[in-house]
Amino acid sequence: MSAEISPPLLSCRNVTKRFGSLVAIDDLSFDLPAGEILGIGGPNGAGKTTLFEVISGHNTASSGQILLEGRDVTRCSPVEMCHAGMARVFQLNTGFDSLSVRDNVRVAAYYGRRNRIVPGISMEPAVEEAVDAALRNVGLIGRDDCLTATLPVLDRKLLMLASALAMNPKLLLLDEPVGGLTHREIDDVAEVVRKIAATGVTVLLIEHVMRFLVQLSTRVLILHHGRKLYEGSAAGLASDPDVVEVYLGKGAGEHVAALTARDEQHVR
Amino acid sequence: MTARRRDLFLCLILAGFAALLPVVSGVRYTVTQTTFFFIWATVVVQWNLVFGIGGIFSLAQMALFAVGAYTAAMLGYYLGTSMFLAMPAGALLAVIFSVAVGLACLRLRGPYVALLTLCVAQVMYLMIVNDTDCFTNPPAGCMPLMGGVRGFSRFGDLGFRELLGPAFYIGHYYVGLAMLTLAMIASVVVIRSPMGLAFQALRDNPAYAAARGIDRFKYQLWIFGLSSFFTGLAGAFYAVNTGVVGPVVFSFSHLLFLLSMIIVGGVGTIWGPLVGALLLMFADEAMRELGDLRDIGMGLILVGCVVLMPRGVVGLLEDLARRRAAQPARNAPLPTKESA
Repeated sequence: MSAEISPPLLSCRNVTKRFGSLVAIDDLSFDLPAGEILGIGGPNGAGKTTLFEVISGHNTASSGQILLEGRDVTRCSPVEMCHAGMARVFQLNTGFDSLSVRDNVRVAAYYGRRNRIVPGISMEPAVEEAVDAALRNVGLIGRDDCLTATLPVLDRKLLMLASALAMNPKLLLLDEPVGGLTHREIDDVAEVVRKIAATGVTVLLIEHVMRFLVQLSTRVLILHHGRKLYEGSAAGLASDPDVVEVYLGKGAGEHVAALTARDEQHVR
Repeated sequence: MTARRRDLFLCLILAGFAALLPVVSGVRYTVTQTTFFFIWATVVVQWNLVFGIGGIFSLAQMALFAVGAYTAAMLGYYLGTSMFLAMPAGALLAVIFSVAVGLACLRLRGPYVALLTLCVAQVMYLMIVNDTDCFTNPPAGCMPLMGGVRGFSRFGDLGFRELLGPAFYIGHYYVGLAMLTLAMIASVVVIRSPMGLAFQALRDNPAYAAARGIDRFKYQLWIFGLSSFFTGLAGAFYAVNTGVVGPVVFSFSHLLFLLSMIIVGGVGTIWGPLVGALLLMFADEAMRELGDLRDIGMGLILVGCVVLMPRGVVGLLEDLARRRAAQPARNAPLPTKESA
């Protein structure tokens, strides 16, 4: 395997983000090898979304380096990050509300894959195929003409996923993909994400819903006050006294322990 | 892309019907008023690209119109340039001017764009009106560089007066019709292309659009550039058609009249501006006898439209079509309906 020679897909080195005197991310370093699903958790205000902002180029790190496939992308714009192979799914139900479902995904498939110096007059067939594939992957095919503003919450989340997929990303950033969903819907989205990851897409996700975080993540990173509190397997979360103390609390800790135990049974 | 083909087809059919008007109705007043309709409809169809599709509240359109008009008039007046050359020159200068305005607006949002673009137009107006230095001294009297308060006249035309004699206005009618048809085709092609999709994405959510690979800087300049060519051409043709260009083209009430056309017809829809221009010009014509009450009537129409159909006439029709299409969709899985 050449995994040891080639650099990790994403690498954050001593990343710090300051807003005035507030240090939102404090000297954070981690690596994300290709093919992994890394889950990020932590209390509100831990700096999770800020970390995404910095990685996706919507905000620039105060110091430190972000490397994508070994290339320094610390100061790249969101548009450049897209074209470098990074697709971000936002925390809120973001979408182009006045456009149809299909047009939402078309935007991503057309502009998200590569820089268009002069946009063409019509969509290439390859783009339409990518749109079809992305809609099929999340189960929205057949809803092409629905107006995005009228979609229910789950479908809006799936639409964001579909448009991220249409960009053919190497790295998918999911910011609380299942916030506000029911248990069944959470499992549906988890299934979709698992399928996406199985096609070789590396996933970095933020989630408070432990049910989701634990069943998907190959590795978990817990942040607190912008620093790394825990890094390791999901199974180890419940037995880490700091994580239980700061984030999970005793009751939820037991819940997570039960979830990870169940997952291990699944594996065996 | 069938929706685009349908819209283009409709453009040509409508143009075909409009071409019959001078033959069917030989009334000179009707023909010349329709020529003005072509000019204003061209302006609002292009304005809709910036304001409706791009969601940029720019009021620069009348300034661009003036750039086109003044360029054509000045080229003709000072250099004796043929209007066949001066008109496209006016359109091209309007494009350059518009891209510069677009650059200036890049850091602004919403009403601030409206303020800045309105300022640009007002500064141009004041510079023209307050300039009293004689640039040339023809027998008719002192002529400032930009024409001053009086403006330009006798700068040439398209030659229809020699060709058609007293029926020259029919020549202008067809030039106007051709211009509007091309402007409408350009608008349909832009809206229903990946470019139009980028503009709409930026309008709906700029931050999300950036995360999907759309560079706001680039596409904002595109939109300012694309929407200005026909606006400048309409200005130049206005100059040729009326034979006079003066600072009156900057009039604020006229700007609002045109803006109302877009709002009444349907902001951001393909056919809205055209429908709005037609409706308001008819309304204006119908209230011609009312004197001062005409402005009040116009205001009532505008308020009524905004309250009763905020998406305009065409927007309302689209919503109704969507609702009708959505009803059987509860049982049937595949709804097909008109998209905006």
